[in-house]
Amino acid sequence: MFKLLKIIARAGEATEKYPFAPLPVSPGFRGKPEYTAQQCIACAACVLACPPNALAIETDAEACTRTWSLNLGRCIFCGRCEEVCPTGAIELSAEFELAVANKADLMQKATFTLTRCRQCDTPFAPTKEIEYALALTAQQGAADSDLESLRALFETCLDCKRTHALAVLDARRYVVKGAA
Amino acid sequence: MSVAEHTRTGRNYVAGLRAQFPSAVLEESWQTADQVTVTVTADSLPEVVAWLYYDQGGWLSVLFGNDERTLNGHFAVYYVLSMEREVKSWVVVRAPVDAVTQEYPSVTPRVPAAVWGEREVRDMFGLKPVGLPDERRLVLPDDWPDGLHPLRKDTMGYNQRPSPTTDTETYTFFNDGGESRVVPLGPLHITSDEPGHFRLFVDGEDIVDADYRMFYVHRGMEKLAETRMDYDQVTFLADRVCGICGFTHSVAYATSVENALGLEVPARAQVIRSIFLEVERLHSHLLNLGLACHFTGFDTGFMQFFRVREKAMTMAELLTGARKTYGMNLIGGVRRDILKDERTRTLKLIAELRAEFTPLVDMLLETPNLKQRTQGVGRLDPKVARDFSPVGPLIRASGFARDIRADHKYAGYGALPFDVQSENSCDVLGRVLIRVREFYDSLALIEYALDHMPEGPILVEGFAYKPHAFALGFAEAPRGEDIHWSMIGDNQKLFRWRCRAPTYANWPPLRYMLRGNTVSDAPLIVASIDPCYSCTDRVTLVDVKKQKSTTVPYKEIERYSRERRNSPLK
Amino acid sequence: MNKPIETPLTFAPRDAYGMPTPLSESEHAAQLKKTLLKDIQRSAYVYRVDCGGCNGCEIEIFAAITPVFDAERFGIKVVASPRHADILLFTGAVTRMMRMPALRAYHAAPDPKIVVSYGACGCSGGIFHDLYCVWGGTDQVVPVDVFIPGCPPTPAATIYGFAVALGLLDQKLKARHDEEAADERAILAHPGIPHELRVRIEREARRMAGYRHGGSIADDFLTLVAQAASARDFESVVGQHLAQKDDPRLSEIFTRLQAVCIAGPQDMQP
Repeated sequence: MFKLLKIIARAGEATEKYPFAPLPVSPGFRGKPEYTAQQCIACAACVLACPPNALAIETDAEACTRTWSLNLGRCIFCGRCEEVCPTGAIELSAEFELAVANKADLMQKATFTLTRCRQCDTPFAPTKEIEYALALTAQQGAADSDLESLRALFETCLDCKRTHALAVLDARRYVVKGAA
Repeated sequence: MSVAEHTRTGRNYVAGLRAQFPSAVLEESWQTADQVTVTVTADSLPEVVAWLYYDQGGWLSVLFGNDERTLNGHFAVYYVLSMEREVKSWVVVRAPVDAVTQEYPSVTPRVPAAVWGEREVRDMFGLKPVGLPDERRLVLPDDWPDGLHPLRKDTMGYNQRPSPTTDTETYTFFNDGGESRVVPLGPLHITSDEPGHFRLFVDGEDIVDADYRMFYVHRGMEKLAETRMDYDQVTFLADRVCGICGFTHSVAYATSVENALGLEVPARAQVIRSIFLEVERLHSHLLNLGLACHFTGFDTGFMQFFRVREKAMTMAELLTGARKTYGMNLIGGVRRDILKDERTRTLKLIAELRAEFTPLVDMLLETPNLKQRTQGVGRLDPKVARDFSPVGPLIRASGFARDIRADHKYAGYGALPFDVQSENSCDVLGRVLIRVREFYDSLALIEYALDHMPEGPILVEGFAYKPHAFALGFAEAPRGEDIHWSMIGDNQKLFRWRCRAPTYANWPPLRYMLRGNTVSDAPLIVASIDPCYSCTDRVTLVDVKKQKSTTVPYKEIERYSRERRNSPLK
Repeated sequence: MNKPIETPLTFAPRDAYGMPTPLSESEHAAQLKKTLLKDIQRSAYVYRVDCGGCNGCEIEIFAAITPVFDAERFGIKVVASPRHADILLFTGAVTRMMRMPALRAYHAAPDPKIVVSYGACGCSGGIFHDLYCVWGGTDQVVPVDVFIPGCPPTPAATIYGFAVALGLLDQKLKARHDEEAADERAILAHPGIPHELRVRIEREARRMAGYRHGGSIADDFLTLVAQAASARDFESVVGQHLAQKDDPRLSEIFTRLQAVCIAGPQDMQP
């Protein structure tokens, strides 16, 4: 009994002060995913990787938009979204104070515009995704005139690329050997 | 994949099988250097399994079914035997089951350890084990329609939810406690309160038998792995099989796929996996020791063990980003490295844990109350143990030094030194002592691993999946071995995933451990197998002499275990 | 096949197809709840209902009431019967077998009561949200007042959740809906580095140290590359950086990344 009291005394005040003081968490703690819509290109890599389907993406052809959404109620805080995102648009933070009284407050959404296909006018790819691809190509040193031709290529949907002849462009010039 | 002839470990068992049962063996295929799958005729199944089990020193790790009609026109049943005598290897006995008759001879009359597996195969596939007396469902809920078998490929989508067929529990509980036979069976409408998951058949205060109903937690994970998920996502699903030893499941699963592909996981990743596995063992053993205190009425000890356990949780958080559900595996390696900062902090916590654990456990072991409550209590007879293939500290306390980390090396354990802890007392005290020693071993293992980290990458990429390749994966969870089996599909997802948690192997012998003890000992005995404790929230006590039954909350039995006053039977 | 339904629909509601529907809260109960919150702030009795969780949540709730987090400081006490409960805490995705026990516990707890849905499984079914043997979250069977996300929620997140349930703290999260601004663009990382080199470095760093460490190591490396005026300059700044970090593993990784730079595109792994 005496030994037990000694152990308890030595342990001191073991209780964390939280919630009366902030609780420090380890670096790399997997808390709430922080999403920066400005960095998102709506490529859906995160949606495909997410094990509980907390992330979703939905196209509204009529409105010509694509909406990304995150349901924090389903999130398992695994960080696969952060792992696969090509632009760094989503990163897990240290935030853990997530309780809500209203379930709708667990939803986060972001709506992006879609570009219409130059040939068939169907909305098919997020504008930002096309711009990102062009920016990457520009960074590799493509000339402006080539970029304009590439834009024509990028702004054509897959079906049309297959069925319509696209003159002049040799896309192989823009792919560096070994790069993805 | 092809395994070079000279590397095959366990050839002797196959040769022996062929000699002993010349007309039984149809085919032999090797998955890894120490895993062989032998296809035998369905008729020879019980004899073959019994021979490997009792005559050749095999233990039944898991058995499962597979709907292979799209592959070869049959169903199949697989019995996985862990061979543990001089030659340690895996022998999987596979038998095709006719798609029309859907029957095969039950192995349970020869090997009792097969009972749960065969009931589950019947639930999931509708395959009938002929000769198995127990006709009850094991896994499917009472409100599930008859004739609907979820794991068949052609019956239902993974997300199809039939309307409930009933609102009441219809499970029947068995008692075979000798002459005290006359007991009310069947749906318990006689009690005013809801029927319990646990039945203790008693004579006064003495337990004569027990039966229990598990699988309240059946969610449908194996079907999910074949449908909505890809290979990497299943590692996160495996983490959530059990919230206490989830990472162990994740390693066992990833290993099963890596074995099927013949993938060499980088050495550094293997050691990191071992470190995280041992961190998981630390928190789990502390939890169990805390509960042991709780049930012997030593609540301050319980609180102190939980206080110390927080350091193990912090260790997990700094290494993986979360206290629980580590999410650290992908097929081919791990997702986080251990750099200087993590290493330093971890070593500091290990030192603190060792310093704080030692006086606590010394105190626990010195309390006279503990010895009195645990010595000779909850005895698992070695013969019963041999019949049922339990795992973990439970089997090790009955004199069998079985530990997958030593018997079939996986992850980084081949390079990490440790001893298998065992006792001969067969009782609750033996299991407690084993967990204490394993705790110290885990601390030492983590330190050793951190001091001997291999260089190189932590992930291998760029490999291809081979349709219909299959293999076992396994890992020693704090409670005992997890064993998984995966068959790769041909559409970026698994064809079949079988996941067997250690408690599955440990529940069947529990009734034998309870017999001859008193009601107030029951919670301690149950806790000594370290089960998912929340599965037992109500207990029905059936007095076989007075033919009376009472249903009480499990908490009430726990209180009785601690206070030893005011029996719930009165 | 389907037996007639035995329990009254007021107890366990179903739709026209026999599928379970959530119980709704009566007006009366909602009214009583407002008064409950005033009384409850000194002590709250919590009854835990495990609806088929993996036990991760159970253990973190346990940890929340033990000495380090000590929810009992706020008068939160776990009770053994729903009849004594002010707060019902549901964990798990509600497996089929636990639907009736969950409803029984709900009905047994006297009004007014607060229902808390705990963990990803409780809030939505979590990773199991659409499986055949679960109903997909607490609110598929009973009305819920507070949702605590997490998988599992940490003890601190649990305490925060209770504070929200008791009306002591306001929730922080609010629904968000961003609309793309005109000319909004995703910014390229490391614009001064050739794209194919950046990809090779990032991939090697991830293979060596995982997505998190690997990401920041690649960033550091590429920043140093971009800043260096010459190869010798680069060697020097890298040397300084590694000396300051004093981590053999980091030095090993940097050596690999330098080799990747020198090797050029044709040696890249798929």
